Amino acid sequence: MVVLLAVVVIGGLVLLARRGRGGTRTDRARTDGTGPGLDDRPFGGRRVSPALMSQGRIDVRGLTKEYRGVRAVDDLSFTVEPGRVTGFLGPNGAGKTTTLRMLLDLVEPTAGTATIGGVRYADLDQPIRRVGAVLEAGAAHKDRTGRDHLRIVCQSAGIPLARADEVLELVGLGVAAKRTFRGYSLGMRQRLGVAAALLGDPQVLILDEPANGLDPEGIRWMRDLLRTLAAQGRTVLVSSHLLGEMAQLADDLVIVAAGRLAAQGTVASVIGSMTYPSRTLVRTPEPEKLAAVLGRGAVITPGGDGGAYVTGADAAAIGDAALRAGVAIHQLVTQLPDLEAAFLELTAGKAAIR
Amino acid sequence: MTALLDSAALDQAGDTGTTPIRLVRAEFMKLRSTSAGWAFLAGFIVFTAMALAISGFGSHHELYPEPGLASRAQELAQAAQAHSPAGVAAIAAGMMTSGQRIGFIFALLLGALVLTSEFANQTAAVTFVTVPRRTTVVMAKVAAAACCGGLFWLVGTVIAAVTTTLFLYSQHVSASLAGWAVTRSVLLNLLAFVAWGIFGLGLGAVLRNQMASVIGALAVYAGSFGAELVFTALYNLFHQGWMLGAPVIAPAVASEVMITSGPAFPYAPPGWVGGVIMIGYTVALVAGGIALTNRRDVI
Repeated sequence: MVVLLAVVVIGGLVLLARRGRGGTRTDRARTDGTGPGLDDRPFGGRRVSPALMSQGRIDVRGLTKEYRGVRAVDDLSFTVEPGRVTGFLGPNGAGKTTTLRMLLDLVEPTAGTATIGGVRYADLDQPIRRVGAVLEAGAAHKDRTGRDHLRIVCQSAGIPLARADEVLELVGLGVAAKRTFRGYSLGMRQRLGVAAALLGDPQVLILDEPANGLDPEGIRWMRDLLRTLAAQGRTVLVSSHLLGEMAQLADDLVIVAAGRLAAQGTVASVIGSMTYPSRTLVRTPEPEKLAAVLGRGAVITPGGDGGAYVTGADAAAIGDAALRAGVAIHQLVTQLPDLEAAFLELTAGKAAIR
Repeated sequence: MTALLDSAALDQAGDTGTTPIRLVRAEFMKLRSTSAGWAFLAGFIVFTAMALAISGFGSHHELYPEPGLASRAQELAQAAQAHSPAGVAAIAAGMMTSGQRIGFIFALLLGALVLTSEFANQTAAVTFVTVPRRTTVVMAKVAAAACCGGLFWLVGTVIAAVTTTLFLYSQHVSASLAGWAVTRSVLLNLLAFVAWGIFGLGLGAVLRNQMASVIGALAVYAGSFGAELVFTALYNLFHQGWMLGAPVIAPAVASEVMITSGPAFPYAPPGWVGGVIMIGYTVALVAGGIALTNRRDVI
């Protein structure tokens, strides 16, 4: 029986060793110059070579995930470009987290593909040196110190353990490094998640709701960090349901609702594509008189607080008409459609609970 | 923010990347960095000490029976038997491996925690994102669980060796702890500790839920000893000879048969049968655990 156990153990070890060697072979091929590996990390400036651009591109094609008959993600396709912050927006339950987990090979798609630089996450050579992920704020053992949590990731990936201390300083957790995760505030947990994602100095960052639980100072820190990372040529995909934050942070948007793509493009193009028209807030003591002189194209809707909203005529037309009619104007404000309005319109009626 | 570009640690790094040895070491870091692993070791030491005390008490009475119900002649014969070289060797072997049944439970439960605690503490996603090759991750955990079993064995054996030596000296008898009978028991014990550690890991990989795995592990271990009762009852009904040896199919009975030098129970099959059955369970659980871990979504 000793012989039997020995055979089993040795067999397992041989299998492991062969896998390990396979990995190293590919590494060597990379550094031999057959392709741009991580060693030529040139994220020093905004200019990124075309080869690196394609390595950092996230490509989701026809991605579908069905859980017991419910389509959490339904034939979703979008592309995320390097050098930009892409906001992944949707109401709760829209399938954002499931999509990100399929991208990271944690969840098996029912159909479709999700690739990073044309390669499935599971097939990446040293995944955390290519892709950094922040999954959920509660993702560390409560009894473990933040530093140990990171050192374990380093050890698993073969990164020097000293890197853990570097990223802790980087996210401002240096002083709390030796405290256990149990004692971390939600904001500190988010920072630890970001620290873990940065361990491998990755080209691609995927963050699931990283701003949750952050205080205003923390949100500003996160925004600056993500903008800097994108400016360095990295791909930054960040999911959120916080619209105001996204409007300030993102270059591009991918909006999902009920597992389906609702809109994709730059922030401006998504807002611009809205049928929701701009409107003008007018405060005047004589709204009826103003309505009479504005002409047929304009529609006046009374607002709740004494003001009125005018559509079909811009501020200049309203001002001119009021001057001609001798109507006093106390306030005249043009209101452009914002991201929140766009978001609500795009996702309207697609209930979070399906 | 330029600090994001410059990493002394990464620049000085030689050959980065996951290797089996690095993964196994990471598993040990996980165990060392939480209190659960240390608590198990402490509990194991306490139970081993208790088992040794009980065993020493019994051995003392074997060597120096106190006047009781049995006749004085019987007592003297028993004491003489215990004092013979074979008798002392048996006492030494018994003490060296005392506490093993409790010890196996510690190895089994710690093995079960190695994988399930990743899900209970939501670290599984980090682990599998860091190393998306799940078979490799589970195999590293198998190695870690086996090493934990081995560590328990080592600690238990060292404590037992010291205690047994002191005990024999205090009882004015001597036996070589390097004799074959003792060595055999101790080595078979190592095999059993390692097997139970891997058994626990495999069970945890199959069940994934921590509470279910702990309850399942305890039920398997304790329930095994009910197998003897069940098969004895069946034998009384059907009078099939094989039924008397059949309890060996229960894991804890198989391990008992494997490590016992004589028959573990009347009509017990030879030791190697227990070993084969125990290894069979272990391999089947690990294989099933790997298959399920690869198939399941990590949510």
